[in-house]
Amino acid sequence: MPKLTIDNLQVTVAEGTNVLEAARALDIVIPHFCYHEALGAVGACRLCAMMFVDGPVKGLQMACMIKAQDGMVVSSTDPDAMDLRRHVIEWTMINHPHDCPVCDEGGECQLQEMTVAGGHGVRRYTGKKRTFSNQNLGPFVQQEMNRCITCYRCVRTYRDYCGGSDYGVFGSRNRVFYGRVQDGSLESPFSGNIIDVCPTGVLTSKPFRYKTRLWDLQEAPSVCPHCSLGCATVPGGRYRDVQRVRAGINRETNGFFICDRGRFGYDHVNHPQRPRQARVDGQPVMIDKAVMAARQRVAEMAREHGPNSVAFLGSSRASLEANALLRDLASTTGSTQLVFEAHHGRDRAARTLVARLGEHARSQEDIRQSDLIILFGADPLAEGPMLALAIRQAVRNGGRVVVIDPRPVELPCAATHLPLAPERLPVILTAFGRGDLNAFDAREREFFASLIEQLHSARRPIMVGGADLLGDKGVDALCSAAAELSTGARSVGVMTLLAGPNSFGGGLLAGDGPGFDTLLDAVHEGRVHALVCLESDPFREAMDPARAQAALGRLQLLVSIDATPSLAARRADIFLPARANAEMAGSYINNEGRLQAFLPVIDPGLPIRETGAGNHPPREFFQETPGSAPEADWWLLAQLLERSANLAEVRKTIAENDEVLAGLLSITTETTGLRLTARGVMPLSAEKPPLHAAAVGILTLLVTTAPVGSHWLAHLSSPLAATEPQPYVCLHPDHADALGLVAGDRARLTTHSGHCQVVIRLSAQMMNGLVLTPQLWDTALEGMRPGSLLDCRLEKETKA
Amino acid sequence: MTELLPQNQIDSFKARAAAIAHPHELIVDLLRAIQSHYGWVPDDGVLLTAVTLGILPVEVEELATFYDKIYRRAVGRRVIHVCDSICCWSTGAEMITEHLQKSLGINFGMTTADGAFTLLPSCCLGACGDAPAMMIGLTTYGKLTPQQIDEILLKERAAIAAAD
Repeated sequence: MPKLTIDNLQVTVAEGTNVLEAARALDIVIPHFCYHEALGAVGACRLCAMMFVDGPVKGLQMACMIKAQDGMVVSSTDPDAMDLRRHVIEWTMINHPHDCPVCDEGGECQLQEMTVAGGHGVRRYTGKKRTFSNQNLGPFVQQEMNRCITCYRCVRTYRDYCGGSDYGVFGSRNRVFYGRVQDGSLESPFSGNIIDVCPTGVLTSKPFRYKTRLWDLQEAPSVCPHCSLGCATVPGGRYRDVQRVRAGINRETNGFFICDRGRFGYDHVNHPQRPRQARVDGQPVMIDKAVMAARQRVAEMAREHGPNSVAFLGSSRASLEANALLRDLASTTGSTQLVFEAHHGRDRAARTLVARLGEHARSQEDIRQSDLIILFGADPLAEGPMLALAIRQAVRNGGRVVVIDPRPVELPCAATHLPLAPERLPVILTAFGRGDLNAFDAREREFFASLIEQLHSARRPIMVGGADLLGDKGVDALCSAAAELSTGARSVGVMTLLAGPNSFGGGLLAGDGPGFDTLLDAVHEGRVHALVCLESDPFREAMDPARAQAALGRLQLLVSIDATPSLAARRADIFLPARANAEMAGSYINNEGRLQAFLPVIDPGLPIRETGAGNHPPREFFQETPGSAPEADWWLLAQLLERSANLAEVRKTIAENDEVLAGLLSITTETTGLRLTARGVMPLSAEKPPLHAAAVGILTLLVTTAPVGSHWLAHLSSPLAATEPQPYVCLHPDHADALGLVAGDRARLTTHSGHCQVVIRLSAQMMNGLVLTPQLWDTALEGMRPGSLLDCRLEKETKA
Repeated sequence: MTELLPQNQIDSFKARAAAIAHPHELIVDLLRAIQSHYGWVPDDGVLLTAVTLGILPVEVEELATFYDKIYRRAVGRRVIHVCDSICCWSTGAEMITEHLQKSLGINFGMTTADGAFTLLPSCCLGACGDAPAMMIGLTTYGKLTPQQIDEILLKERAAIAAAD
């Protein structure tokens, strides 16, 4: 631990820390552009000059390039250092336009700050500035090259850190240009990060363009709701409109970056069809009235037909507090009909993971530090994009990646891929864990023998699973394998991608309660008459939507609490509008069991751009903000329980009732979250599997998820709409040959639930003989449930 | 001259790329081969380089645009690079430039109407001892005077005519 003196202050820092960071530890900010904690130091911008007065290094040096050493005496205020910085910033500013008033970066521009900090005030250069033609980089990133100061951060982020392949730096000297070879949308699913890292207004957010200055924007630390990884985000809102999301910093989860789904998925909050009005029997009412009606009718139902005639369905997108209160509501009612996920496989996989994960839990940071990552049935870019980025960092640090998956799992790094049938994954995992190679054929045996060898020589191996493909049996086998392959000296880690931001919380609360299909049976058989839905849409999320709709049609009472235009919200007898995640405080538990808090950014209300329809909003006088009725999900449930609806008290009561959730008392947004150590309960093993659909063909179809289009909240976000795929199926080229299909063909896909027109895609990486298709909301593929295997037919469409 | 590069050369580059650890080493060689065969490097030439070497188009374009002796736009039969760096400037590069522009009837960045010459400014050609200097093709000419330039242009024109 070197101890050094900076500006007459002593500081001790960790081995390997550079002097710029050491100064930052003393709150001394040295101007810099090219240095970024996640990208490292390259010493290119020449701005962080400091004078090394005494010690092992002497003279004027770039602080980012010098590792702190014992006995260093460094000055940031030395006249020579300050003079150099002043000149460097003046050169940097030579070509920079004076367009700050119309620049979107204005107010949060590192160049503005560094220019002031560097001591450059008056422009002496009177010559012509170089100018560029801009490129159209697609729906997310706006380019304005004239503002560029050639710091290289965007290329280092896009190409080096994120593994993008279509962005670079061209030309030389004054002609240096950052962009694509030709106009076109940036292809990386992490492209938005160059908006965050650009120190000035060259790369700004296109959807956020000309909307708001930072000082008018309300921001708060939040947790991304678009997958189970729980990345830190900072949403920003103004005029009752969530307008953007930037990456938050959490060194245990996302680090400094986020994926484009998280960055541009915010718009579900402002969705024009979002229900904002409480309703009872189709009539708009005040929210208190609706809460009272719900409370009374649920109690009545329990009195009349017995407590178990009321069922409760929580959700992976509701806060932990709300889900815990839903459990309290069920127990207060006396009902045991409680489940937290309508998708059978996801529900059981989450519960199994919570029961089995224990000390094998690993974070995204652990992934970045791992030297061997084995993915079993996990497709990070679709199921948790930032995991793919974490895996890339492991590879950049010398780690290896092995993918065992029927799908063509794309990663932004090199990986070895073995395509295997999805139904074999649990068996393979068990055999792999026991080192029993008899379960494999000759080719696989060689593969797995070598894999086991690699695993034994790895120091920080992690096995990654995906809940959709593995199911409960696979997740169980994954955890068992990790336990069996662990030795006293080194534990094998596990990370499993779940469906939603709070799937882990649902799995923790679910206990050994019934699955949703069992509840549907009870509804069908007339034993359950009422259903309380917390931010879930069983009409569309259940394993068999047609069956769910038939069963749910028999309900006498449907109560829905939701922040999205779901079918449940539309059909509810009593509807209670909830706040979106950016509008409330709460917490989620991510897929590694990390409990993380988030804070509200804005209060709910109809965005002014909607009420004003492009003009000034109406000049009528209202006492209430239009559309401001939604309340936090936990607030609504506390009201239903007739408890205090103060968050601190809600958390206190939950923590007192269940010591597993005691962490709720201490979480803040200042920390990296709290890893829970408690375990859940395995789901009942006797439960029947979902109905197998009637055979309609000879091909086997595996339902997957797409990076965009399969996730409900992201699907509701307009900036992402352009990136949603049209319905497609993916085939192995040999398989397509045999079927007489080529890439781009239109074909008719027939399953038990009907027909759908699809486009043919090919991938040589996937398992030959399987048909892959993603579940896609609001398309003919909406009813497909991710992870299911179905019989199907595929016929080439002939043009009429 | 519609093809970018004869197939046997493409095959030879493919074989060389496969035999080395870093095919990026061959980017400039391949771009120059295309340029000497086709006259300049169009977008398809960048793509052909990427495909032949098995690398990303962006990696090729980064180099193709970095070097000013790789032409990414159509040029005349001969490209004249006139040095404008310090030694040449101090020994009369401006006068040399003016003479070239007058005798060719074009400014920097332009090509003569007959397609013979393109005139470009250049940073140091490494011929400071022979300043003022210019380069045509792979030949560097130093200690330039207007008379010498006239002779050189005549000689180059004759060479172009002979090649046709």
